Amino acid sequence: MLDQKDLRPKDMGRSDEQLIKLDNLIPLLAPYDKPGMESPLTDPKPAWKEKYCTSLDGYIGIDTLTRPKTKEEEDEFVRKFLSGLEKIFSDANNGVLQPLLLSFEYCAKCNTCSDACHIYTAAGNNELYRPIYRSEVLRKIVKKYFTTSGKLLGGFVGADIDVNWETIARLGELAYRCNLCRRCAQTCPLGLDNAILTKEIRKIFSQEMGIAPTPLHTKGTMLQIKTGSSTGLSKPAFLDTLEFLEEDTEEKFGIKLKFPVDKKGADILVLHNAGEFMAWPENPVAFAILFDAAGLNWTLSSEIMGYDSVNYGLWYDDVQAKKIATMQMKVAKDFGVKRLVVAECGHAHKASMITADRMGTDRLPVESCLPLLWDMVKSKRLILDPSKNNFPVTLHDPCNVVRQMGIVEPQRNVLKAICPQFREMTPHGVDNYCCGGGSGFAIMNSANFPEFRTQVASRVKFNQILGAFKGTMEDTSTPKYICAPCSNCKGAMRGLLEHYDATEKYNLQYGGLVELMVNALVSLKKPFLEFLE
Amino acid sequence: MILSIIAYLSIVLFLGISVYKAYQFAGMPFHGRMDLYPVPKEKGYEHGGSYYEETAWWSKPHEVSHMREIIEMLKEIIFIKKLFENQRPFWWISYALHLGIYLIMAWTILLVIGAMFELNGILVAADSSSILGLLVFYLSIVTGYIGLALGALGSGMLFLRRAFDNTLKKYTTPQEYFNLLLIFVALITGIFTWGNDLSFGYAREVTGNLVTFTPFVADGLLTLHVVLVGIMLTYIPISKMSHYVGKYFTFHKVLWDNNPNLKGSGVEQQVKNAASFRPTTSWSAPHIKPPVAPEK
Repeated sequence: MLDQKDLRPKDMGRSDEQLIKLDNLIPLLAPYDKPGMESPLTDPKPAWKEKYCTSLDGYIGIDTLTRPKTKEEEDEFVRKFLSGLEKIFSDANNGVLQPLLLSFEYCAKCNTCSDACHIYTAAGNNELYRPIYRSEVLRKIVKKYFTTSGKLLGGFVGADIDVNWETIARLGELAYRCNLCRRCAQTCPLGLDNAILTKEIRKIFSQEMGIAPTPLHTKGTMLQIKTGSSTGLSKPAFLDTLEFLEEDTEEKFGIKLKFPVDKKGADILVLHNAGEFMAWPENPVAFAILFDAAGLNWTLSSEIMGYDSVNYGLWYDDVQAKKIATMQMKVAKDFGVKRLVVAECGHAHKASMITADRMGTDRLPVESCLPLLWDMVKSKRLILDPSKNNFPVTLHDPCNVVRQMGIVEPQRNVLKAICPQFREMTPHGVDNYCCGGGSGFAIMNSANFPEFRTQVASRVKFNQILGAFKGTMEDTSTPKYICAPCSNCKGAMRGLLEHYDATEKYNLQYGGLVELMVNALVSLKKPFLEFLE
Repeated sequence: MILSIIAYLSIVLFLGISVYKAYQFAGMPFHGRMDLYPVPKEKGYEHGGSYYEETAWWSKPHEVSHMREIIEMLKEIIFIKKLFENQRPFWWISYALHLGIYLIMAWTILLVIGAMFELNGILVAADSSSILGLLVFYLSIVTGYIGLALGALGSGMLFLRRAFDNTLKKYTTPQEYFNLLLIFVALITGIFTWGNDLSFGYAREVTGNLVTFTPFVADGLLTLHVVLVGIMLTYIPISKMSHYVGKYFTFHKVLWDNNPNLKGSGVEQQVKNAASFRPTTSWSAPHIKPPVAPEK
């Protein structure tokens, strides 16, 4: 095992059982700065070492990446990777060729991007997670196999890496130590984007080698294409869930709620992340209450692909992303609505409005729920009482919605209007850090990966939260609310608060934006937020 | 004569290869959106906002300021703004090199102008009676002195920093040291060649001879300098030092391109064109491969 400080890109092919060990995480802020407030990081189980690739940093992100049993399998693995690597520079990859080549060719290795990365920072400036480390490994392999200069000049141009099963498997794992948040790209003086290269590695593994984390692929996009939702929620189960939520809402709040489903003549089709119905049903309920109160002509769809906005393909597989985006758009168009509104799910925002924007023509207009929600508040279509939300609130900026779409102000304007104790975290807006759950991390729960997510990837976010609530944390009678208008971000928050027992110990709460809005409705007789009861 | 050919050829190759590279990037297939905010042309640039902050954004005019985009580009080109903001210690030496290069480019143009003036009887000297002659004389001195000094200092410092910084040296290939060294040596030979005459009269005289293909006696140092500059000018556009080409595309065509695919728009036409393309290569994973027809 190497000291991370000595790690070089060409070390990826070394035969060490584990390349580095994480041992120098940045300290957490008060009240988590005391000894014993955090469990130590664990070593991978011996059985995992035999089966999976734990030889990078001990964590397993790709549960389908298993060790070969024969030399032939090992060679075939390397051959397939190289075949996929060649293809990312071919016309099979036209949709990303120009940005890829630019980021591949021009890195000046000035290292300006490193400090922008929350994972590199959280891990105590660990060399393995430096944004250019992974990119440089990829460059070395490409140079070695696919460039004339690399073949002729070898190490002089950087083609000095041993390529074996370990190199490739480690690179695959390393592609899942980046949240694809693109914060590093914001700082690059040449406008280059390491996240493009990271995603290309993930794509080679999936599109060429058929290897991707189960929650993203088999239980993600494949399940969604088959059943209509990555949750596996069938149409009857979806309708049952809505019925249950209607009854529950009436029982709890005395509101006779009726979800409009497949309503003919509706203007708006609302697309939720179906995970909300299972994990945070109060979110779609809050949407329904608000949209009804504002008098919008809206509906949900019960058609396959019509009631789940997610598109995990965005994180690892362009082909899957396109299949899902195309199917979702077809359902919406067949339905006959005038527009689609994406509810609080960050990657679904980006998938349907940015990524899918150039996947076909004659598309229905798609918009974010956030400007619509602000419009309801601004136009006073909702009668709200901010004093109902008189507790500290901070806002997390989902990377997909904010940094990658430029939707920054509407959600802040809502919070400023309805939360008297709203405070920004530092930094915020387009400069905010990822929650640590981005690019699939939030749903990747195999083996020891949650430990990496919670204690490393989400670490900077946790410090941002602790910083935003400084001075109020010890007051356990006061709830502190992290507003995270994104399902994946909420998943990361849930993991974070559970791991640090922060709700129990410090009354740290999390949820979306619409829950706060409904809580502030004058017409609501009792608090919508359970922790206020 | 040979030096004249080297000078002309290297400039033509520098410009030609750079333009060809730009042409290649410009002709690359239409790609998906990868906008990253803040996008300077957007109305909400100050807070990093976009047209998506509006309800029914597709029905409203997309208000953009191309002037702000140009200003931001110029800040990046002239001052390397992002490096200044995000990594100040590195900016000092990187900017020294880049400013040095800009000034040397200006100096070279001034030498050609000065040589042309002198060939046409306008004296370029401190005691010139022509205002233009005086202007070119002093501007040549300022740009030449500062340009050569900053360029050599910047390339030398960047080389040393890469060689001695524990992090940077792990990522620097021998070729990248060579790149910096080539610039450094080309500039140092320039300093020794032109340094004997601080008024740059000799430099103007040589420039005049080179430009007009006039044979002249060149010593070894001058020959070495011209050859090195020729190699440098030809090598830069074929190496990754041609990032001056790439930078336009990374910002303007990738990070700042957020034009939506609206009905009747240019983007819609490009999407249609791209959709009609049939790739010659395909991916091989089981979920992508078309199912094999059952054997009869």
